[in-house]
Amino acid sequence: MSRNLISGNSLPLRKYCDILSGFLIAGGAVFYLGSSFLGLIPLASGAALYLFIIFYFEGREKGAGAVKKHMSRLAVPVIGIVSAVFFGAIIMLLTGYDPVRSYAALFYGGFVKNWYVSVLNATPLIFTGLSIAFAFKAGLFNIGAEGQYYIGAMAGAWLGLTLDLSPLLSIMLIYIGGSFIASLWNFIPALLKVKTGAHEVITTMMFAHIARYLSPIFIRAFGGDPATSSHAYVTYEIPQSNWLLSFRAFIPDANYRLHTGILIAVATAFFVNYMLNNSKTGFEIRAVGFNRDAARVQGISIGKNIFIAMMAAGALAGMAGITQVLGLDHKLFENLQAGYGWNGISVALLASNHPIGVIFTSLLWGALDAGGQYMARTTNTPNSIVEIIKGIMLFLIVAKYIYIYAVKFIKKKRRGGNA
Amino acid sequence: MPDWTFLMFLNTDLLVATVRLSTPITLAALGATVCEKAGVVNIAMEGIMIIGAFFAAVTAFYTGNPWLGLAAGVAAGGIYSLIHAVATISLHLDHVVSGAVLNILAFGITRYLMVLFFGHPGTSDAIPSFLGDYQFAVPFLSKIPVLGPVFFNQTPIIYISFFLVIFLSWFLKYTKTGLHIRAAGEHPLALETIGVSVYRIKYLAVFISGLASGLAGAYLSIENNVSFTEGMTNGKGFIALAAMISGGWSALGSFLSALFFGFADALQVRLQIFRVFHVPEELFIIFPYAATIIAVAGLVKRSRPPKADGVDFIIEKENE
Amino acid sequence: MKKGMKLAALVVAAAMILTLASCKKEEKKTEEKKFMAAMATDVGGLGDKSFNDGAHQGLEMVREKLGADIKVVESKQQTDYVPNLIGLAEDGSDIVFAVGFLMEQAVKEAAKNNPDTKFAGIDIWAGDNDPANFMGILYKEHESGYLAGVVAGMMTKEHSSASPRFNDKNVVGVVLGMFIPPVEKFEVGFIQGVKSVNPDCKVLSVTTGSFVDQAKGKEAALAMIEQGADIVFQVAGLTGLGVIQACKEKGVAAIGVDVDQSGVAPDTVLTSAVKQIPQTVFLAVESVKNNTFTGGTKVYGIEDDATGISPFHDFESVVPQAVKEKVAQVAADMKAGKIKIETTRAALGM
Repeated sequence: MSRNLISGNSLPLRKYCDILSGFLIAGGAVFYLGSSFLGLIPLASGAALYLFIIFYFEGREKGAGAVKKHMSRLAVPVIGIVSAVFFGAIIMLLTGYDPVRSYAALFYGGFVKNWYVSVLNATPLIFTGLSIAFAFKAGLFNIGAEGQYYIGAMAGAWLGLTLDLSPLLSIMLIYIGGSFIASLWNFIPALLKVKTGAHEVITTMMFAHIARYLSPIFIRAFGGDPATSSHAYVTYEIPQSNWLLSFRAFIPDANYRLHTGILIAVATAFFVNYMLNNSKTGFEIRAVGFNRDAARVQGISIGKNIFIAMMAAGALAGMAGITQVLGLDHKLFENLQAGYGWNGISVALLASNHPIGVIFTSLLWGALDAGGQYMARTTNTPNSIVEIIKGIMLFLIVAKYIYIYAVKFIKKKRRGGNA
Repeated sequence: MPDWTFLMFLNTDLLVATVRLSTPITLAALGATVCEKAGVVNIAMEGIMIIGAFFAAVTAFYTGNPWLGLAAGVAAGGIYSLIHAVATISLHLDHVVSGAVLNILAFGITRYLMVLFFGHPGTSDAIPSFLGDYQFAVPFLSKIPVLGPVFFNQTPIIYISFFLVIFLSWFLKYTKTGLHIRAAGEHPLALETIGVSVYRIKYLAVFISGLASGLAGAYLSIENNVSFTEGMTNGKGFIALAAMISGGWSALGSFLSALFFGFADALQVRLQIFRVFHVPEELFIIFPYAATIIAVAGLVKRSRPPKADGVDFIIEKENE
Repeated sequence: MKKGMKLAALVVAAAMILTLASCKKEEKKTEEKKFMAAMATDVGGLGDKSFNDGAHQGLEMVREKLGADIKVVESKQQTDYVPNLIGLAEDGSDIVFAVGFLMEQAVKEAAKNNPDTKFAGIDIWAGDNDPANFMGILYKEHESGYLAGVVAGMMTKEHSSASPRFNDKNVVGVVLGMFIPPVEKFEVGFIQGVKSVNPDCKVLSVTTGSFVDQAKGKEAALAMIEQGADIVFQVAGLTGLGVIQACKEKGVAAIGVDVDQSGVAPDTVLTSAVKQIPQTVFLAVESVKNNTFTGGTKVYGIEDDATGISPFHDFESVVPQAVKEKVAQVAADMKAGKIKIETTRAALGM
């Protein structure tokens, strides 16, 4: 009773503290993603404040419980990352490369020196990762996200070249129109899935191949570089008013290529998370993905939800392409091996399809890529080792049974030792 | 009036090309069929193929004997696929996840080893002798018009793929082990209750799929060509996945679907040569993919995967 | 719980040590300054038997002849281009090469932001507004293609009796990787070369859509050979290895691309339409060393010996004197500017 009274009295205070900590965390994150490391200070203090709020308002036990919950959630990824690094070191030693120097370069390059590259790498990955995670939630495997990426990029370039309204309005229209077109790219696979049961792995992948080969045709139609030859391999540049805001606009020493697409990506991740957990559609989609028969019994339309999930997945992957065009390249060129769709599968799986988790796994993947380049340049270690480390890491993080077995094994041994 | 001379392309050579193009897809799809029949989803064919192709080329290069290369490619595929078996069966990892990991790993491993073995990335040095030299015509049968040159005047791995289509169809349907494999994918619990280890059957099925995909890789690097190139599988493993699904999870169906894709691909090359339609050539390249979608949409009957396909099987009930 | 904390502390400590170690390493740099040349590949990477390998060879020449340090970085995705180029400049490179037309935007940005370092782009054009420390290097691939076409056009008809590899069908073929500008220039030049000596000759053309798929290349070539092609020109990078293999199996002739590919199959490769990337890379580095570097676009062609065809090697005795004379004469005319070669399919009305 008394507890209720106290918390009743301090409710406004708690609200203010919550808002403050949220503000600090969000602001810090914006600056940190804008490659200003000073952003870490508000980020860390916001996190500390958040912890303090829990301890202060909810009591020690609850606070400790919350900390423990977060720690245990992080335990497996941390162990996975550390062991992957360890195995990578063994491979390097066996093949004659210096692991200490290589790792120093990998981490320095990925998280400090070229952090902005990591962020740039992560931006499209967040979108494609979300796309694949979203489809997985409905029990679908959107293996063709790569194709929706191309379509999004083409639609973004087309609208970017044609729309000329006030900057904010036209960017919003490009996102809406572009992601709509990209979601239409999944229309036929969705329709076939619902009507004939054609497996989405086949259809989306075939559509991905088609999209990839359509992009050169599109580029030739919307470009041309008369100086070199009349054969176009890039489209014309989209007008500057349609570019995404650069971080440089408010962080003077940010790299000039770094654009605010990452913020859109993060916001989208939070939106998707909210939608999945708090809306009726989200609930139905998860129900369909979890157990189709049970969902049907509950009166949930399987077809409708599969349809929605496929279209949403297409739109999300398309947003990756739009962001890349509006933010980074400002034009579309023949990108022979984009690979964002394939890497999106990795980041989604690594995050166990959790939308917020996708943000972090994408950043990790982006940092490993950027760091791998730095490592290859400054030491002579080939960056294909990074691919191997990534594979091991993914394996060790998602294979949770390894840990169950390990714990069992240790317990058994202990018991054996005692007896 | 359009120019109909291009119709002269519809000849025996087109069918021979169809078989050549479809062989790697057939082999990988056959492997995937066995694997999925046992209830293990396998999307790692692309990765297993590239591993098989690499080790086949390395062995053929250093020993000078393509047959040893063939053996090495198949063995490498089998061993590599065991990672998938351990991950999905013993460690209860999601099958799609494990497959995706294997695909990523395979490209990293081959690129890393390329530099170690050949001193440069990209493409390996040419092997001294390759399986394409061992093309032989079956006496009498090869004289049959059309079917003769298509089916009875081929290179070794193509013959093996024909044999495997027949053998696996029979094996899955009529042998005890085949029955067990199918049971592992449909009613694993029932299988366990009659005293057969579901784990062992699943391990076997995954291993067979690895051998077949390794063989598909070897076909690319030491029979169809004389060197290994990074990324030379170029999505064929995923096409095989499509072939298996549209083939209705059966050996013969996979083979026919692979042939269909091979035919569409062989046809698009010929349409390009004749420039029948004056459109960008990318549209020709798209043709086999579009044809597959149309086939899946309209022609292929609704088929269903094994009931327990991709479902984790745990004997002692444990939740995460 | 405690264990978790311990583990976390351990991880944090390890991360700090690593960071410190890397910081230290950074400080040690730039002690002695040796002349250095570097390159960043495009996503194709080394081993493409084309422009990336060509530029790499050029740098190896630089190391041997000028005693300079060299450095090569392979890019994995397009976001790597700018940091790689700038990173190489920061590592103390005197000149940094960006290889491949995909890097156009990246290298110009890098040059603008690093005015003290020289940059050069292979297959990249430099305009008036581009920075003065950037040199674009282009090649007249159509000239190489044209000369190869002259050889093919004459061998497939007039001199088809010179070797059993040729037939009397009067058909030749071109296999393309992806349809991109340098590939188009090779193809279009080849077609014009063939037609210049053999107007009735049929030139078949297939685009495979990949630079790494040997099986596709082989299939495209086989389909052409079925139609009577006895010389197939490959402009398809590693896909082209399949083309040469097909020609070898079917006993017809192939024409290589970019570098002298006779080594791939000496009995099959008639000649190669080459593009002397190594020499031009060497020249660019030398100009930096001698302080004669200037920005702008350098277009290398036959007058610089940068384009042309490779020696016939095993076909030296097969190719008749008349063909050799014709090639020499066309090359001379080309140098004198007497031959106008179109560079696009559109100009040919294709």
